[in-house]
Amino acid sequence: MDSLIIEATEDSPRIMFDTVSNRFIISGESRPENAGKFYTPVINWIVNYEETLYARKHETTDDSALVFAFKLDYFNSTSAKYIMDILLIIKKLVDLGYKINIEWHYDKRDDDMLDAGNEFSDTAGLKFDFIEY
Amino acid sequence: MTQVSTAFEVYQFMSEKNILIAFTGHFDHLVTTSLLKNIKNKLTALQSVTGIDKKVYNILVESIENISKYSSFRNHGHKIAMLLLCKSDTHFTVITGNHILNTDVPALKEKLDKIASLSPLELKQMYRDQMLSKRIDENSAGLGIIDIAIKSDNHIKYDFKPLTDLTSFYLFQTEISIQK
Repeated sequence: MDSLIIEATEDSPRIMFDTVSNRFIISGESRPENAGKFYTPVINWIVNYEETLYARKHETTDDSALVFAFKLDYFNSTSAKYIMDILLIIKKLVDLGYKINIEWHYDKRDDDMLDAGNEFSDTAGLKFDFIEY
Repeated sequence: MTQVSTAFEVYQFMSEKNILIAFTGHFDHLVTTSLLKNIKNKLTALQSVTGIDKKVYNILVESIENISKYSSFRNHGHKIAMLLLCKSDTHFTVITGNHILNTDVPALKEKLDKIASLSPLELKQMYRDQMLSKRIDENSAGLGIIDIAIKSDNHIKYDFKPLTDLTSFYLFQTEISIQK
């Protein structure tokens, strides 16, 4: 599957799902006017990506993990619901046996962003690697 | 009509009250974006080592988004509202004000009182329940207000000033302590 790249705007994050390096990054600020319009295609893309994961797992010897990195400066509460949806899909994929590492990057001054990561991790039942910058 | 002398009074009032930002007008997504850009620059200029600028920014965005959720513009065709950001030595204060239908007041008041009565743990649980519930119910307590309550250690206040038989002015205030 081709990579999914959506450039950042003033109110929406950058989406860089690189299917060559297997590093998926969501970065920047997220408070789009219509969060559903922004996130639904992204979520559908991830759902469809399972086929690629399946093929790699069963038809190749590549057993490297997919890295899902969240590097957000800010997200509003509406975006939080969509981030949760993405995490629940990742959780399903992890439960199906796919290797996925989740990185949660946060500004070291931003305790709220660290708290939010812990909350997402607990709620989704996923282990996060916390990385401060 | 506004006179030069009145303008000076406004300036003096804003200086005394440490008002960093005062805005009234039509809040739409474009206006909000340009306001936020300006505010972000002011907050970044504070060069806070504690990240208070980020917390204030978070609460500001949620407060502004809260305006459109509870405003009576749907029924009256306008979305005139107010935003104030003040800073004292110990606190930042964010205040929003907007018109609301009197018929919406009791339900909103009930939600706000409920949130104000919750402990940090209860707030977290409520946040989690809301996050996992299916798509946002327009009239639900709203993740936004719960988020503001969590991030401000529940230092929220509200008031409703009756305007007409139909509408009131809804004021919502959050205090953010500067000390860690």
